[in-house]
Amino acid sequence: MIVAKLIDTTLCIGCKACEVACQEWNDQEYTLGTFNGSYQTMPDLAHNFWNLIRFNEVERNGAQSWVMSKYQCMHCAEAGCIAACPAPGAITQMANGTVDFVHENCIGCGYCITGCPFDVPRLSPATKKVYKCSLCSDRTAVGLEPACIKTCPTNCLTFGERDELLRSAEIRTRELKADGHAQAGIYNPAGVGGTNVIYVLNDATQPEQYGLPKDPEIPWTVRLWKGPLKALGAMVFMGSILGAFFHYVIFGPQDPEKHGHPEEEPTHEA
Amino acid sequence: MKLDEIRIPRFDAYERVMHWMAALSFVYAALTGLALWTPVLYWLASLSGGGFVIRGTHPWSGVLFSVVIGWMYRRWAKTMYLDADDRVWLTRLDKYATHQHGALPPSGRFNAGQKMLFWSQVATGLLLLVSGVVLWFPEEMPRGLRLAAIAAHPLAAIGSIGGILVHIYMGTAAVPHSMRAILRGWVSPEWARFHHPKWYKVWRDSANLR
Repeated sequence: MIVAKLIDTTLCIGCKACEVACQEWNDQEYTLGTFNGSYQTMPDLAHNFWNLIRFNEVERNGAQSWVMSKYQCMHCAEAGCIAACPAPGAITQMANGTVDFVHENCIGCGYCITGCPFDVPRLSPATKKVYKCSLCSDRTAVGLEPACIKTCPTNCLTFGERDELLRSAEIRTRELKADGHAQAGIYNPAGVGGTNVIYVLNDATQPEQYGLPKDPEIPWTVRLWKGPLKALGAMVFMGSILGAFFHYVIFGPQDPEKHGHPEEEPTHEA
Repeated sequence: MKLDEIRIPRFDAYERVMHWMAALSFVYAALTGLALWTPVLYWLASLSGGGFVIRGTHPWSGVLFSVVIGWMYRRWAKTMYLDADDRVWLTRLDKYATHQHGALPPSGRFNAGQKMLFWSQVATGLLLLVSGVVLWFPEEMPRGLRLAAIAAHPLAAIGSIGGILVHIYMGTAAVPHSMRAILRGWVSPEWARFHHPKWYKVWRDSANLR
Protein backbone atom coordinates (compact mmCIF):
# COMPACT_ATOMS: atom_id res chain seq x y z
CA MET A 1 0.00 0.00 0.00
CA ILE A 2 1.40 3.37 -1.02
CA VAL A 3 0.76 6.06 1.59
CA ALA A 4 0.61 9.77 0.96
CA LYS A 5 0.00 13.17 2.41
CA LEU A 6 -2.68 15.40 0.96
CA ILE A 7 -2.20 19.14 1.41
CA ASP A 8 -5.30 21.17 0.66
CA THR A 9 -3.72 24.61 0.43
CA THR A 10 -7.16 26.25 0.34
CA LEU A 11 -7.69 25.21 3.97
CA CYS A 12 -4.32 26.31 5.34
CA ILE A 13 -4.61 29.19 7.81
CA GLY A 14 -0.88 29.61 8.33
CA CYS A 15 -0.95 28.62 12.01
CA LYS A 16 2.42 26.82 11.72
CA ALA A 17 1.34 24.13 14.17
CA CYS A 18 2.74 21.53 11.73
CA GLU A 19 6.16 23.23 11.93
CA VAL A 20 6.12 22.98 15.71
CA ALA A 21 4.93 19.37 15.67
CA CYS A 22 7.68 18.45 13.19
CA GLN A 23 10.37 20.09 15.32
CA GLU A 24 9.04 18.48 18.48
CA TRP A 25 8.60 14.94 17.19
CA ASN A 26 11.94 14.89 15.38
CA ASP A 27 13.61 16.41 18.45
CA GLN A 28 15.33 19.20 16.50
CA GLU A 29 17.60 21.63 18.21
CA TYR A 30 16.17 25.12 18.61
CA THR A 31 17.32 27.54 15.91
CA LEU A 32 16.68 31.23 16.03
CA GLY A 33 14.75 32.31 12.94
CA THR A 34 15.45 35.46 10.97
CA PHE A 35 13.04 38.27 10.24
CA ASN A 36 12.84 38.93 6.51
CA GLY A 37 9.77 41.15 6.43
CA SER A 38 7.52 38.11 6.13
CA TYR A 39 5.34 36.01 8.40
CA GLN A 40 7.36 32.96 7.39
CA THR A 41 9.19 31.28 10.28
CA MET A 42 12.43 30.75 8.37
CA PRO A 43 13.57 31.97 4.96
CA ASP A 44 14.31 28.40 3.85
CA LEU A 45 14.41 24.75 4.89
CA ALA A 46 17.41 23.73 6.99
CA HIS A 47 19.13 20.50 8.02
CA ASN A 48 17.21 20.81 11.32
CA PHE A 49 14.02 22.35 9.90
CA TRP A 50 12.20 20.00 7.54
CA ASN A 51 8.76 21.50 7.17
CA LEU A 52 8.22 25.15 6.31
CA ILE A 53 4.94 26.94 5.62
CA ARG A 54 5.70 29.42 2.87
CA PHE A 55 3.77 32.67 3.00
CA ASN A 56 3.94 33.52 -0.69
CA GLU A 57 2.66 37.00 -1.39
CA VAL A 58 0.93 37.01 -4.77
CA GLU A 59 -1.20 39.50 -6.64
CA ARG A 60 -4.47 38.00 -7.80
CA ASN A 61 -7.29 39.93 -9.50
CA GLY A 62 -5.61 43.18 -8.53
CA ALA A 63 -5.51 42.26 -4.85
CA GLN A 64 -2.62 41.13 -2.71
CA SER A 65 -3.15 37.66 -1.34
CA TRP A 66 -1.30 35.11 0.72
CA VAL A 67 -0.75 31.83 -1.03
CA MET A 68 0.35 29.45 1.67
CA SER A 69 2.08 26.19 0.88
CA LYS A 70 3.81 23.50 2.87
CA TYR A 71 7.44 23.12 1.77
CA GLN A 72 8.92 19.71 2.52
CA CYS A 73 10.16 16.49 0.90
CA MET A 74 7.73 15.35 -1.82
CA HIS A 75 8.56 11.62 -1.53
CA CYS A 76 8.70 11.21 -5.32
CA ALA A 77 7.97 7.88 -6.96
CA GLU A 78 11.06 8.45 -9.16
CA ALA A 79 13.26 10.29 -6.73
CA GLY A 80 16.10 12.48 -8.01
CA CYS A 81 17.99 12.09 -4.72
CA ILE A 82 18.10 8.30 -5.10
CA ALA A 83 19.17 8.57 -8.74
CA ALA A 84 22.10 10.77 -7.71
CA CYS A 85 23.21 8.96 -4.53
CA PRO A 86 26.43 6.89 -4.82
CA ALA A 87 26.30 5.28 -1.34
CA PRO A 88 24.34 2.00 -1.23
CA GLY A 89 21.62 2.09 1.40
CA ALA A 90 21.96 5.80 2.20
CA ILE A 91 18.55 6.61 0.71
CA THR A 92 15.82 4.00 0.75
CA GLN A 93 12.42 3.89 -0.81
CA MET A 94 10.12 1.90 1.39
CA ALA A 95 7.38 -0.43 0.16
CA ASN A 96 4.86 2.24 1.19
CA GLY A 97 6.57 4.82 -1.05
CA THR A 98 8.34 6.80 1.69
CA VAL A 99 11.78 8.10 0.66
CA ASP A 100 13.97 8.05 3.76
CA PHE A 101 17.63 8.89 4.47
CA VAL A 102 19.62 6.32 6.46
CA HIS A 103 22.23 8.44 8.14
CA GLU A 104 24.72 5.75 9.08
CA ASN A 105 25.14 5.08 5.33
CA CYS A 106 25.14 8.73 4.22
CA ILE A 107 28.59 10.03 3.25
CA GLY A 108 27.54 13.66 2.89
CA CYS A 109 28.61 14.07 -0.74
CA GLY A 110 25.58 16.29 -1.37
CA TYR A 111 24.76 14.79 -4.79
CA CYS A 112 21.14 14.33 -3.63
CA ILE A 113 20.91 18.11 -3.17
CA THR A 114 21.73 18.49 -6.86
CA GLY A 115 19.53 15.59 -7.93
CA CYS A 116 16.40 16.81 -6.10
CA PRO A 117 14.11 18.83 -8.41
CA PHE A 118 12.39 20.38 -5.36
CA ASP A 119 15.56 21.62 -3.58
CA VAL A 120 14.78 19.84 -0.32
CA PRO A 121 17.79 17.99 1.22
CA ARG A 122 20.08 20.06 3.45
CA LEU A 123 23.63 19.31 4.63
CA SER A 124 24.38 19.59 8.33
CA PRO A 125 27.64 21.45 8.94
CA ALA A 126 28.03 19.55 12.23
CA THR A 127 27.49 15.92 11.16
CA LYS A 128 28.36 16.46 7.46
CA LYS A 129 25.29 14.39 6.54
CA VAL A 130 22.12 15.28 4.71
CA TYR A 131 18.66 15.62 6.29
CA LYS A 132 15.05 16.03 5.21
CA CYS A 133 11.49 15.04 6.08
CA SER A 134 11.20 11.29 6.74
CA LEU A 135 7.39 11.28 6.41
CA CYS A 136 7.69 10.36 10.10
CA SER A 137 8.64 6.81 9.08
CA ASP A 138 9.17 6.06 12.78
CA ARG A 139 5.49 6.92 13.40
CA THR A 140 3.94 5.40 10.27
CA ALA A 141 5.78 2.12 10.95
CA VAL A 142 3.65 1.66 14.07
CA GLY A 143 0.40 2.84 12.52
CA LEU A 144 0.53 6.50 13.58
CA GLU A 145 0.09 9.38 11.17
CA PRO A 146 2.95 11.87 10.67
CA ALA A 147 3.30 14.56 13.35
CA CYS A 148 2.29 17.42 11.06
CA ILE A 149 -0.94 15.63 10.08
CA LYS A 150 -1.77 14.81 13.68
CA THR A 151 -1.55 18.43 14.72
CA CYS A 152 -3.26 20.21 11.79
CA PRO A 153 -6.36 21.98 13.18
CA THR A 154 -8.18 22.62 9.86
CA ASN A 155 -7.88 19.21 8.16
CA CYS A 156 -5.78 20.93 5.52
CA LEU A 157 -3.44 17.96 5.99
CA THR A 158 -4.58 14.36 5.67
CA PHE A 159 -2.66 11.12 5.57
CA GLY A 160 -3.67 7.78 4.18
CA GLU A 161 -3.75 5.46 1.20
CA ARG A 162 -2.55 7.32 -1.87
CA ASP A 163 -5.36 6.30 -4.24
CA GLU A 164 -8.00 7.26 -1.69
CA LEU A 165 -6.40 10.66 -1.14
CA LEU A 166 -6.28 11.26 -4.88
CA ARG A 167 -10.01 10.55 -5.05
CA SER A 168 -10.79 13.00 -2.24
CA ALA A 169 -8.48 15.55 -3.95
CA GLU A 170 -10.60 15.23 -7.08
CA ILE A 171 -13.80 15.72 -5.10
CA ARG A 172 -12.30 18.79 -3.42
CA THR A 173 -11.20 20.17 -6.80
CA ARG A 174 -14.76 19.81 -8.13
CA GLU A 175 -16.04 21.69 -5.08
CA LEU A 176 -13.56 24.50 -5.64
CA LYS A 177 -14.50 24.74 -9.32
CA ALA A 178 -18.16 24.90 -8.38
CA ASP A 179 -17.22 27.67 -5.95
CA GLY A 180 -15.82 29.72 -8.83
CA HIS A 181 -12.12 28.69 -8.70
CA ALA A 182 -12.00 27.62 -12.32
CA GLN A 183 -8.24 27.01 -12.23
CA ALA A 184 -8.37 24.69 -9.22
CA GLY A 185 -6.52 21.43 -9.58
CA ILE A 186 -4.25 18.74 -8.18
CA TYR A 187 -0.45 18.95 -8.02
CA ASN A 188 0.97 15.46 -8.52
CA PRO A 189 3.70 16.01 -11.15
CA ALA A 190 4.12 13.20 -13.66
CA GLY A 191 7.75 14.11 -14.42
CA VAL A 192 8.88 12.38 -11.21
CA GLY A 193 6.38 9.56 -11.55
CA GLY A 194 3.95 11.31 -9.21
CA THR A 195 4.65 12.41 -5.64
CA ASN A 196 3.48 10.97 -2.35
CA VAL A 197 2.86 14.51 -1.17
CA ILE A 198 -0.13 15.74 -3.15
CA TYR A 199 -1.49 19.27 -3.21
CA VAL A 200 -4.86 20.77 -3.99
CA LEU A 201 -4.21 24.25 -5.39
CA ASN A 202 -6.87 26.84 -6.10
CA ASP A 203 -4.82 27.84 -9.16
CA ALA A 204 -3.12 24.74 -10.51
CA THR A 205 -2.06 26.53 -13.69
CA GLN A 206 0.56 28.50 -11.74
CA PRO A 207 2.21 26.13 -9.22
CA GLU A 208 5.19 28.55 -9.09
CA GLN A 209 3.03 30.90 -7.02
CA TYR A 210 3.09 28.20 -4.34
CA GLY A 211 6.85 27.72 -4.69
CA LEU A 212 6.30 24.47 -6.60
CA PRO A 213 8.14 23.83 -9.89
CA LYS A 214 5.87 23.55 -12.91
CA ASP A 215 7.33 20.43 -14.54
CA PRO A 216 9.80 18.88 -12.09
CA GLU A 217 11.85 15.93 -13.26
CA ILE A 218 15.15 14.23 -12.55
CA PRO A 219 17.66 16.59 -14.27
CA TRP A 220 18.86 15.26 -17.62
CA THR A 221 22.50 15.78 -16.64
CA VAL A 222 21.94 13.48 -13.64
CA ARG A 223 20.43 10.87 -15.98
CA LEU A 224 23.38 11.33 -18.37
CA TRP A 225 25.85 10.96 -15.49
CA LYS A 226 24.24 7.78 -14.15
CA GLY A 227 23.28 6.30 -17.54
CA PRO A 228 25.10 6.82 -20.87
CA LEU A 229 28.29 8.16 -19.23
CA LYS A 230 28.56 4.99 -17.16
CA ALA A 231 28.39 2.92 -20.35
CA LEU A 232 30.90 5.23 -22.05
CA GLY A 233 33.23 4.97 -19.06
CA ALA A 234 33.04 1.18 -19.04
CA MET A 235 33.78 1.09 -22.79
CA VAL A 236 36.75 3.48 -22.53
CA PHE A 237 38.29 1.79 -19.46
CA MET A 238 37.77 -1.80 -20.62
CA GLY A 239 38.72 -0.83 -24.17
CA SER A 240 42.00 0.71 -23.00
CA ILE A 241 42.89 -2.22 -20.77
CA LEU A 242 41.95 -4.94 -23.26
CA GLY A 243 43.38 -2.94 -26.17
CA ALA A 244 46.72 -2.60 -24.38
CA PHE A 245 46.74 -6.25 -23.40
CA PHE A 246 46.04 -7.53 -26.90
CA HIS A 247 48.43 -5.01 -28.43
CA TYR A 248 51.12 -6.62 -26.31
CA VAL A 249 49.97 -10.11 -27.25
CA ILE A 250 50.01 -9.32 -30.99
CA PHE A 251 52.89 -6.84 -31.37
CA GLY A 252 54.94 -7.10 -28.18
CA PRO A 253 57.21 -4.36 -26.88
CA GLN A 254 59.12 -1.85 -29.00
CA ASP A 255 62.62 -3.16 -29.69
CA PRO A 256 65.39 -0.88 -31.05
CA GLU A 257 67.23 -3.87 -32.52
CA LYS A 258 64.24 -5.14 -34.48
CA HIS A 259 62.44 -1.88 -35.22
CA GLY A 260 65.30 0.64 -35.56
CA HIS A 261 65.75 3.23 -38.31
CA PRO A 262 67.65 1.38 -41.02
CA GLU A 263 69.17 4.59 -42.41
CA GLU A 264 70.57 5.68 -39.03
CA GLU A 265 74.21 5.21 -38.16
CA PRO A 266 74.97 2.54 -35.61
CA THR A 267 76.28 3.55 -32.20
CA HIS A 268 79.31 5.83 -31.79
CA GLU A 269 82.20 5.48 -29.48
CA ALA A 270 83.08 8.21 -27.08
CA MET B 1 84.18 4.26 -22.53
CA LYS B 2 81.85 2.14 -24.61
CA LEU B 3 78.60 3.73 -25.56
CA ASP B 4 76.43 1.11 -23.90
CA GLU B 5 78.00 2.04 -20.59
CA ILE B 6 76.95 5.66 -20.98
CA ARG B 7 73.89 6.89 -19.09
CA ILE B 8 72.04 9.81 -20.62
CA PRO B 9 70.18 11.85 -18.01
CA ARG B 10 66.53 11.97 -19.05
CA PHE B 11 64.56 13.15 -15.99
CA ASP B 12 66.25 14.98 -13.12
CA ALA B 13 65.11 14.39 -9.52
CA TYR B 14 62.82 17.41 -9.68
CA GLU B 15 60.93 16.00 -12.67
CA ARG B 16 60.79 12.50 -11.21
CA VAL B 17 59.29 13.71 -7.94
CA MET B 18 56.85 15.85 -9.91
CA HIS B 19 55.79 12.91 -12.07
CA TRP B 20 55.26 10.55 -9.14
CA MET B 21 53.35 13.11 -7.10
CA ALA B 22 51.04 13.49 -10.08
CA ALA B 23 50.83 9.71 -10.50
CA LEU B 24 50.04 8.93 -6.86
CA SER B 25 47.49 11.71 -6.45
CA PHE B 26 45.91 10.72 -9.77
CA VAL B 27 45.52 7.06 -8.84
CA TYR B 28 44.03 8.01 -5.47
CA ALA B 29 41.66 10.56 -6.99
CA ALA B 30 40.66 8.15 -9.78
CA LEU B 31 39.87 5.20 -7.50
CA THR B 32 37.97 7.29 -4.95
CA GLY B 33 36.26 9.18 -7.76
CA LEU B 34 35.02 5.94 -9.30
CA ALA B 35 33.66 4.96 -5.87
CA LEU B 36 31.77 8.27 -5.66
CA TRP B 37 30.38 7.84 -9.16
CA THR B 38 28.06 4.89 -8.77
CA PRO B 39 26.96 2.34 -6.15
CA VAL B 40 28.36 -0.38 -8.47
CA LEU B 41 31.92 0.82 -7.76
CA TYR B 42 31.28 1.97 -4.19
CA TRP B 43 33.32 -0.98 -2.85
CA LEU B 44 36.43 0.90 -3.99
CA ALA B 45 35.75 3.31 -1.11
CA SER B 46 36.71 0.60 1.38
CA LEU B 47 40.29 0.74 0.02
CA SER B 48 40.59 4.07 1.78
CA GLY B 49 38.45 4.03 4.88
CA GLY B 50 34.94 4.02 3.40
CA GLY B 51 32.60 6.51 1.78
CA PHE B 52 32.53 9.07 4.55
CA VAL B 53 36.34 9.28 4.53
CA ILE B 54 36.78 9.55 0.77
CA ARG B 55 34.08 12.21 0.57
CA GLY B 56 36.58 14.30 2.54
CA THR B 57 39.83 13.15 0.90
CA HIS B 58 38.87 12.84 -2.78
CA PRO B 59 38.60 16.62 -3.36
CA TRP B 60 41.94 17.25 -1.67
CA SER B 61 43.71 14.61 -3.78
CA GLY B 62 42.22 16.39 -6.80
CA VAL B 63 43.57 19.71 -5.58
CA LEU B 64 47.03 18.16 -5.14
CA PHE B 65 46.87 16.66 -8.65
CA SER B 66 45.85 20.04 -10.09
CA VAL B 67 48.74 21.79 -8.34
CA VAL B 68 51.20 19.24 -9.75
CA ILE B 69 49.67 19.59 -13.22
CA GLY B 70 50.27 23.34 -12.93
CA TRP B 71 53.85 22.61 -11.88
CA MET B 72 54.31 20.28 -14.88
CA TYR B 73 52.88 22.96 -17.12
CA ARG B 74 55.49 25.45 -15.91
CA ARG B 75 58.26 22.93 -16.39
CA TRP B 76 57.26 21.23 -19.65
CA ALA B 77 54.79 23.34 -21.62
CA LYS B 78 57.49 24.86 -23.84
CA THR B 79 58.85 21.46 -24.89
CA MET B 80 55.32 20.15 -25.51
CA TYR B 81 54.33 22.28 -28.51
CA LEU B 82 53.91 20.15 -31.64
CA ASP B 83 56.47 20.77 -34.40
CA ALA B 84 56.12 19.87 -38.10
CA ASP B 85 57.56 16.38 -37.55
CA ASP B 86 55.08 15.76 -34.72
CA ARG B 87 52.14 16.65 -36.91
CA VAL B 88 53.25 14.10 -39.52
CA TRP B 89 53.92 11.60 -36.72
CA LEU B 90 50.33 11.86 -35.51
CA THR B 91 48.98 11.02 -38.97
CA ARG B 92 51.11 7.85 -38.86
CA LEU B 93 49.99 6.67 -35.44
CA ASP B 94 49.12 3.28 -36.94
CA LYS B 95 52.78 2.88 -38.02
CA TYR B 96 53.89 3.65 -34.46
CA ALA B 97 51.42 1.16 -33.01
CA THR B 98 52.59 -1.59 -35.37
CA HIS B 99 56.31 -0.98 -34.79
CA GLN B 100 57.07 0.43 -38.26
CA HIS B 101 59.38 3.05 -36.82
CA GLY B 102 61.18 3.55 -40.12
CA ALA B 103 58.05 5.26 -41.45
CA LEU B 104 57.96 7.84 -38.62
CA PRO B 105 59.53 11.31 -38.56
CA PRO B 106 62.07 11.70 -35.74
CA SER B 107 60.87 12.76 -32.31
CA GLY B 108 62.43 15.26 -29.92
CA ARG B 109 62.58 14.93 -26.14
CA PHE B 110 58.93 13.89 -26.15
CA ASN B 111 57.16 12.23 -29.05
CA ALA B 112 53.85 13.54 -30.39
CA GLY B 113 51.89 10.92 -28.43
CA GLN B 114 53.43 12.05 -25.16
CA LYS B 115 52.73 15.66 -26.08
CA MET B 116 49.10 14.90 -26.78
CA LEU B 117 48.85 13.12 -23.42
CA PHE B 118 50.30 16.20 -21.74
CA TRP B 119 47.84 18.58 -23.36
CA SER B 120 44.88 16.29 -22.78
CA GLN B 121 45.79 16.01 -19.09
CA VAL B 122 46.13 19.79 -18.82
CA ALA B 123 42.69 20.24 -20.43
CA THR B 124 40.88 17.51 -18.48
CA GLY B 125 42.74 18.51 -15.30
CA LEU B 126 41.44 22.05 -15.59
CA LEU B 127 37.90 20.83 -16.29
CA LEU B 128 38.07 18.38 -13.36
CA LEU B 129 39.31 21.12 -11.03
CA VAL B 130 36.63 23.63 -11.95
CA SER B 131 33.73 21.14 -11.96
CA GLY B 132 35.14 19.46 -8.84
CA VAL B 133 35.12 22.68 -6.84
CA VAL B 134 31.49 23.22 -7.87
CA LEU B 135 30.52 19.72 -6.67
CA TRP B 136 32.57 20.12 -3.49
CA PHE B 137 30.30 22.84 -2.09
CA PRO B 138 26.75 21.86 -3.15
CA GLU B 139 25.02 24.40 -0.89
CA GLU B 140 27.13 27.39 -1.95
CA MET B 141 27.01 26.84 -5.73
CA PRO B 142 24.08 27.75 -8.00
CA ARG B 143 22.08 24.73 -9.09
CA GLY B 144 22.59 25.28 -12.84
CA LEU B 145 26.35 25.19 -12.36
CA ARG B 146 26.10 22.02 -10.26
CA LEU B 147 23.98 20.31 -12.91
CA ALA B 148 26.60 21.13 -15.56
CA ALA B 149 29.44 20.00 -13.28
CA ILE B 150 27.77 16.71 -12.43
CA ALA B 151 28.03 15.68 -16.11
CA ALA B 152 31.30 17.48 -16.94
CA HIS B 153 33.26 15.95 -14.04
CA PRO B 154 32.79 12.28 -15.01
CA LEU B 155 33.14 13.11 -18.72
CA ALA B 156 36.54 14.72 -18.09
CA ALA B 157 37.47 11.82 -15.80
CA ILE B 158 36.68 9.26 -18.52
CA GLY B 159 39.01 11.07 -20.93
CA SER B 160 41.67 11.51 -18.29
CA ILE B 161 41.64 7.93 -16.96
CA GLY B 162 41.48 6.51 -20.50
CA GLY B 163 44.60 8.49 -21.45
CA ILE B 164 46.45 7.44 -18.30
CA LEU B 165 45.62 3.75 -18.87
CA VAL B 166 47.34 3.95 -22.26
CA HIS B 167 50.20 5.93 -20.66
CA ILE B 168 50.70 3.21 -18.02
CA TYR B 169 50.82 0.53 -20.71
CA MET B 170 53.35 2.53 -22.74
CA GLY B 171 55.51 3.21 -19.70
CA THR B 172 55.53 -0.34 -18.37
CA ALA B 173 55.14 -3.07 -20.99
CA ALA B 174 55.23 -1.39 -24.40
CA VAL B 175 58.48 0.57 -24.13
CA PRO B 176 61.11 -1.34 -22.18
CA HIS B 177 63.39 0.76 -19.91
CA SER B 178 61.06 3.76 -19.82
CA MET B 179 60.13 2.84 -16.23
CA ARG B 180 63.82 3.08 -15.28
CA ALA B 181 63.95 6.49 -16.92
CA ILE B 182 61.14 7.90 -14.78
CA LEU B 183 62.21 6.09 -11.59
CA ARG B 184 66.01 6.51 -11.69
CA GLY B 185 66.30 9.18 -14.36
CA TRP B 186 68.59 7.77 -17.05
CA VAL B 187 68.44 5.99 -20.42
CA SER B 188 70.97 4.33 -22.69
CA PRO B 189 72.17 6.07 -25.87
CA GLU B 190 70.65 3.24 -27.91
CA TRP B 191 67.27 3.83 -26.25
CA ALA B 192 67.52 7.59 -26.78
CA ARG B 193 68.51 7.26 -30.43
CA PHE B 194 65.66 4.87 -31.18
CA HIS B 195 62.84 6.60 -29.31
CA HIS B 196 63.88 10.26 -29.38
CA PRO B 197 66.41 10.74 -32.22
CA LYS B 198 66.33 14.56 -32.28
CA TRP B 199 66.78 14.76 -28.52
CA TYR B 200 69.58 12.19 -28.76
CA LYS B 201 71.40 14.30 -31.37
CA VAL B 202 71.26 17.36 -29.12
CA TRP B 203 72.79 15.32 -26.31
CA ARG B 204 75.43 13.81 -28.63
CA ASP B 205 76.46 17.22 -29.96
CA SER B 206 76.60 18.79 -26.53
CA ALA B 207 78.52 15.80 -25.20
CA ASN B 208 81.06 16.46 -27.95
CA LEU B 209 80.73 13.05 -29.55
CA ARG B 210 81.40 12.58 -33.19
